[in-house]
Amino acid sequence: MKILLKIAWRNIWRNKGRSAALLTAIVIGLWAGVVTVGLMTGLLDQRIDNLIDSEIAHLQAHHPEFREEHRPEMVLPDVTKLTTWLDEHQSVRSYTARSIVEGMFQSPVKTSGVRIMGVDPERERNTTTFHENLVSGDYVDADIRNPVILGLELAEEHNIEIGNRIVLTFEQLDGELASAAFNVSGFFRSGSTHYDRGNVIVHIKDIQELLSEKPVFHEIAVVLHDIEEAESVVMAINEQFDGLVAQTWDQLSPELGTIVLLGSFMLFIVTMIIMIALAFGILNTMLMALFERIREIGMLISIGMSRIRVFFMIVLEAVMLTITGAAVGMLFAWGTITLLNREGVDLALFAGGIEEIGWPTVIYPAITLGEFFSITVVVITMTLLATLYPAYKAFRVNPMEVEKDT
Amino acid sequence: MAVIRTEKICKVYNPDTIPVHALKDVSIQVEKGEFTSLVGPSGSGKTTLLNMLGALDMPSSGKSFIGDVEVTKLSDKERINFRLHNIGFVFQHYNLIPVFTARENVSFIMMLQGVAQKELLERADELLESVGLGDRKDARPHELSGGQQQRVAVARALASKPRFILADEPTANLDTKAAMNLLDIMEKMNEEQKVTFVFSTHDQRVIKRARRVVTLVDGAVHSDKTTTPDNTVKE
Ligand SMILES: Nc1ncnc2c1ncn2[C@@H]1O[C@H](COP(=O)(O)OP(=O)(O)OP(=O)(O)O)[C@@H](O)[C@H]1O
Ligand SMILES: [Mg+2]
Repeated sequence: MKILLKIAWRNIWRNKGRSAALLTAIVIGLWAGVVTVGLMTGLLDQRIDNLIDSEIAHLQAHHPEFREEHRPEMVLPDVTKLTTWLDEHQSVRSYTARSIVEGMFQSPVKTSGVRIMGVDPERERNTTTFHENLVSGDYVDADIRNPVILGLELAEEHNIEIGNRIVLTFEQLDGELASAAFNVSGFFRSGSTHYDRGNVIVHIKDIQELLSEKPVFHEIAVVLHDIEEAESVVMAINEQFDGLVAQTWDQLSPELGTIVLLGSFMLFIVTMIIMIALAFGILNTMLMALFERIREIGMLISIGMSRIRVFFMIVLEAVMLTITGAAVGMLFAWGTITLLNREGVDLALFAGGIEEIGWPTVIYPAITLGEFFSITVVVITMTLLATLYPAYKAFRVNPMEVEKDT
Repeated sequence: MAVIRTEKICKVYNPDTIPVHALKDVSIQVEKGEFTSLVGPSGSGKTTLLNMLGALDMPSSGKSFIGDVEVTKLSDKERINFRLHNIGFVFQHYNLIPVFTARENVSFIMMLQGVAQKELLERADELLESVGLGDRKDARPHELSGGQQQRVAVARALASKPRFILADEPTANLDTKAAMNLLDIMEKMNEEQKVTFVFSTHDQRVIKRARRVVTLVDGAVHSDKTTTPDNTVKE
């Protein structure tokens, strides 16, 4: 085996240009794979984090039918029992209770259907990052009567400025309609125009006064110390409490599930294309290299080198190139990801209007160690697979090739 | 016992399309210590016959023995291993591994045989010295002349301690001086170490130095002359 290593090593240096080309292909393949995955992961992570951090949190509890029917009377039963439990649970970092109703948003210009969310500004701040979405004005703890904040899109559609007064109309718990004037205290931009057009946020006490006599809550959003525990906490809540259903973030937002799925699928396609290109490049180069050496290989088999040794000689050449290429590629890729992660990539440069659909414009590519190594493994595997055919060709060489004239 | 013995070997190339009868019932024997030349016009079957003698190729019919082994019965894999341990080869070109030095080329075959490191290095040096390349041991083939490369090939062929050495037109690419020099070395090996050589050639100067000349015409043995030490020719 030592002799095979030696001959393979020397053969690599024999045609430096070709080896360099192969090496470059491997480096670029790995680099491109890692950077693509990194960009995509960064994009997805940010989108997901954004949604999770700003509103969804790690888990939520609702009345069992609330998420389908959105009826105001579908309130959480026995909220104090649940909050006491959450207060005592070690995994829970914080939580916030919300009152949510569907209603009408009426300005002097026109009327739109909106979802009205009443939040406790103090708790909301501690639990989510929604307040960071505020682009102008004040949050719902503004020192005015009945403050409301709305998405920029909605404000534009209704030609509204801060300080304007609008009317919200919605059903009370008993089925009667309630209407109240609210004062616009600020605008937010969540990253999704769809969201910004259809949601308004008010102070929870303002809406609760209108909904019923006692305070009612439709939703409790919980943030844990570790998102990985969401599943187990959800299970614990569902076991302990009747009349409500807790769900993890991915159950709550099917959109997120789809994004993740779609993202991984696209990722798979892109990396596949890169890998196949790499494999064909290598196959082609190795075949050329083999073709040039066919007489020499015929000589080796003639004088008594076993075919299996010839096979491994070729494979070893590829292995050495691949290991070198993979190492260099890994370094470059890691460097690129680290750099891009620090600096961010401004997608607006390439795709205007991307924020319209709720995607971040500046993304911070990231890659897990697992992904990084699996790409490396894929690149190495592809290279070696691409070598099997040339190696097999070498394995099959007729010893009498050595006698052929050039 | 004969080192090589063939029994009515026939070789037909392309039997299914345009058959070429390259060898027709060739039965010859090579004894230990022979210095035999295969001659004949181009296309007469010299290379084809050497391929049979060297177990590189299988005849279409007939048998071939090396020592008491019927090589025509061996599998491809067995023949490769058999060649490694029993036959030395010198080809017209592409004899050497271009990325290896002369010493490495000679050592290589012994490594394949599993000879111990120390022993094979000593033997490689010895052999290179005996072919007059003691001072070019670390040269790569492209740094050597054609004649020097062929001498490395002879050293390599000898390194495996084969029962005999086959050489297909070993001097075809060499000038007269280099050709004679190579012949001198082969002859010396033959005389001093009783190494058996069978080589094909077109070259009259080389044919003259052979002690047995087997002439092929159209794939059949046309004549087989042996020159005894007292220079009488025996048919
Ligand atoms: N692989 C092959 N396929 C088909 N025909 C072949 C093959 N190899 C040799 N032949 C034919 O077999 C015959 C004998 O060829 P061979 O190479 O043995 O002759 P040779 O005596 O070595 O000739 P030269 O002196 O030119 O080397 C020729 O007619 C040749 O064309
Ligand atoms: Mg020939």
